Amino acid sequence: MFRIDRRFFQNFDWILLLLLLGVAGMALMNLYSASYPPSPWGMPPFVKQCYLFLFGMLCILFILFFDYRELHFWNYPFYVLIIILLLLVLFVGNSAGGAQRWINLGFFRLQPSELAKLMLVVTLASYYSRKEQTEGYGIRDMITPVLLTLLPFLLIMKQPDLGTALMLGIIFVSMTVFAKIRIQTYGLGLVLGGAAGVFAWFFLLRDYQKRRIETLLNPAKDPMGQGYQILQSKIAVGSGGVGGKGYLEGTQGHLHFLPERHTDFAFSVWGEEWGFAGSLFFLGVYFTMLFWGLYVAMTARDRFGVFLSFGVVMLIFWQAVINLLMILGFLPVVGIPLPLVSYGGSSLLTTLLGLGILMNVRMRRFQTGQNADKMK
Amino acid sequence: MKWSGYNNLEELTEYDDADLDFLKRRIVFAGLIVLCFAAIIIARLWFLQVHKGDEYRDRADNNRVRVREVAAPRGNIFDAKSRKMVTNRPSFNVVLVREDSNDVDKLLKKLATALDLDISMLWEKLRDASTKPRHIPVRLLVDVDWQTLAYVENHNQEFPGIRIETTPARVYHYENLAAHAIGYLGEISKKELAARDSDIYTGGDLIGKMGLERLRETDLRGEKGSSSSEVNARGFEQQLLKSIEPLPGNDIQLTIDAELQKVAEDLMDSGGKAGAVVAMEVKTGRMLALASNPVLPLNQFVGGISHKNWNALLDNEKHPLINKVVQAMYPPGSTYKMITAMAGLSTGVIDKDTVFYCPGFYTFGNRRYHCWKHSGHGAVNLKRAISESCDVYFYQVGLRVGVDKLAEFANKFGLGHKSGIELEHEKSGLTPTKEWKKKKYGQKWQDGETLSVAIGQGFNLVTPLQICLMTATIANGGKQYLPQIIEKVTDPDGKIIEQFEPVVVTEMTGDERFLPLIREGMEEVVQGRRGTARLVRIKGLTIGGKTGTAQVVRLKEYKHLKEEDIPYKFRDHAWFTCYAPAEDPEIAVTVLVEHGLHGGSGAGPVARAILEAYFSGYLQLHEETEKAAKEEEE
Repeated sequence: MFRIDRRFFQNFDWILLLLLLGVAGMALMNLYSASYPPSPWGMPPFVKQCYLFLFGMLCILFILFFDYRELHFWNYPFYVLIIILLLLVLFVGNSAGGAQRWINLGFFRLQPSELAKLMLVVTLASYYSRKEQTEGYGIRDMITPVLLTLLPFLLIMKQPDLGTALMLGIIFVSMTVFAKIRIQTYGLGLVLGGAAGVFAWFFLLRDYQKRRIETLLNPAKDPMGQGYQILQSKIAVGSGGVGGKGYLEGTQGHLHFLPERHTDFAFSVWGEEWGFAGSLFFLGVYFTMLFWGLYVAMTARDRFGVFLSFGVVMLIFWQAVINLLMILGFLPVVGIPLPLVSYGGSSLLTTLLGLGILMNVRMRRFQTGQNADKMK
Repeated sequence: MKWSGYNNLEELTEYDDADLDFLKRRIVFAGLIVLCFAAIIIARLWFLQVHKGDEYRDRADNNRVRVREVAAPRGNIFDAKSRKMVTNRPSFNVVLVREDSNDVDKLLKKLATALDLDISMLWEKLRDASTKPRHIPVRLLVDVDWQTLAYVENHNQEFPGIRIETTPARVYHYENLAAHAIGYLGEISKKELAARDSDIYTGGDLIGKMGLERLRETDLRGEKGSSSSEVNARGFEQQLLKSIEPLPGNDIQLTIDAELQKVAEDLMDSGGKAGAVVAMEVKTGRMLALASNPVLPLNQFVGGISHKNWNALLDNEKHPLINKVVQAMYPPGSTYKMITAMAGLSTGVIDKDTVFYCPGFYTFGNRRYHCWKHSGHGAVNLKRAISESCDVYFYQVGLRVGVDKLAEFANKFGLGHKSGIELEHEKSGLTPTKEWKKKKYGQKWQDGETLSVAIGQGFNLVTPLQICLMTATIANGGKQYLPQIIEKVTDPDGKIIEQFEPVVVTEMTGDERFLPLIREGMEEVVQGRRGTARLVRIKGLTIGGKTGTAQVVRLKEYKHLKEEDIPYKFRDHAWFTCYAPAEDPEIAVTVLVEHGLHGGSGAGPVARAILEAYFSGYLQLHEETEKAAKEEEE
């Protein structure tokens, strides 16, 4: 299985690597500014993120040696591992801001819910690629994927981490709709989903989570609370104007008006310092990367490859869209990072692993069954 | 690999092209959705950054720039010899920026406990400022001591929103010296704020409340500076963006000589006397000393006077709040006799040799008007009449001249109207006329009343300043100068904006020829064998003066009492006014001691001390030459 095919290098996805490096370069540069001036104690987020990025690139290199199809076999062990980690986090996890999300590994605080997103993509891709239904999936076909999604979803809700839990739901819906389901399945899904939503509002959501949704509807009502964050973010981005204030010259970010400026609101810093022109450039590169990911899905050799790549792209795309719409004042503050850009090791590693899977799929697009390694 | 249900990868790689084509179509559709969201995000960015960019830039500036006022140091006040009288020092105030505190309630409670303060006082300060914008600091404690300062500075993390502000505060180098003239500062009131330019004053500013601090507010206040700082969302100032230095106020040099003033105030104070001392340059109108006792405790006013202290000042029977130099009126007593004499000389009723006989009383109508010397002066001419202050002589002059003529001459010497000195609430005094009485009481003037007026009693009322002006006019040969207290005003660059210049208000035409006769009599008061102010004499200096006793009440029940036994508030006021040197007068000094009984003994020594201080150099020289002359003789 470690046989190196010459064609791997010929078929290596240099374009995706280039796009990834472009986005990551801008992201790290932005992170330097967002955490500027460097705090005198501890490792600055910028340096930490650089190390994590290098580590993530090594991970990508490592997984390129394996055929992505082997994920079919590793899928369930991974699934079980992640569930254990999610359970573990509830008991021994580090808490911050009222939520238990991390497992402290000493050098690194692992956020299993981030890995759970990627795990769900792989699990669903594996399920849908194995069980083909030309007429679309029926209600009975949905039982397994729903349960596979619901288990981590509920564990993450318990932490509580509304944003990440929501992401699992979105990934599930995206991939399921993509796989084609029957019309009655849609109907039942909507009814059950709606009921679950109502139930969640009254029994599951915490007050602060409800408030976030409420303030979206009327941000001026609560200028120092949730709405304040959105307002400050809008002021930061808006005040960037056409050309921006210049690198390291952003005032809103550096003066702490912007909350969470190196994590969820990292793009506000970019928008403030580089203006409309710089934002357009950044989004250009970012979305090209996403489109390229879809192209990888289109050119994938098999159904599993298609589902895997599509799921990874959706994972990145939905997080990016929700994060950006939040920064620009269209969505409530739900704590979803901008993949590759927001500070946070688990999110970065998850995204890089996802992109590694994309490269893997792309690299092996011409491989036939005959050329593939035998497992035994 | 049992769990996967597959045996090898080959089984998985079997695929169906039709199915892949179906998925590819779906991917294209997904791509369109991605494109839509990209378009929405870019449109939103365009709206925020391009369309509303300027608006958000303004908001960003407001967000981060906080402009603070920097109080200007007030102008300094110097005395005539450029000694510092009032300057500034830094004062540290504890202020609250409400915007920076998320729980003002808790914060104030904590602060009150930590500093052992009355919380209701803090609340009151906060209520007063309730209409101000939340980022404007509210002064909670003014001019705190260094322990408080150190505590607040060291614990500033525990008190978010509490800051130390440095403002200039007044330093009084001579304590309460000339307090009434200089005045004091206080926090601007709502009324004052409404009446004044809102560009210059804001709530909490200090403003002159009295004296020159009030009258010369525009000169002294300077121009506020400002500092614009970047602040973060927590209110901490990050860096200074722009700072406009405040422009200090203009310095004022007074004509008042602090040392003379001190002599006057100390002497009055040590005797526990209430009253006024006025010293003036007779040929310029420069005021050298303007003392009003008891003095005003200026230091009580620095951080705003307490109710208790204020009420104590109000209730004090010696009225420390009143500037007795210009705001209190007294009967002039015998100091008025110079006016009567001048009226007599000028109208030709008397000349210098006219003699009246004084048996100790004068009978007019069916009443006896007594001379202060009940045994009588005998035959009295003008010189003796002044020097021994014979009442009977002046009864007769007054009666012949008439009250209206007396008033006319009184006015010529500055009585009966405001002098125009730069002090507040100056009283004009009263020089009664027949018409005045008709108007005021609707009654005809009684000639008996003229007798009282002629010796400075009756309806007559003057301020100590007016008597000093009268004395100066007599001394300088008939010129009435505008009394002034400001020598010069200089801006912070040292440029002179205003410079003292003598102003002659009126000048006698013709009548001044009688003044030497008056002065002769006044010299005799001090220098003469039987003068009423012999104890004012200073060796080597010729002084002209006049004593006076102003009756407060004429009560029969006190007649038989010894003067010292009469209750304080019913005792007579003592006047003494003088000029020196008699040969070529330079200075006029007037002293009024409230309820001080006799002019010569009550008021004279104060005047004498001032003359000694003023002429100390001259007197020393005189003494030395005399000594040398004596040694030569030997």
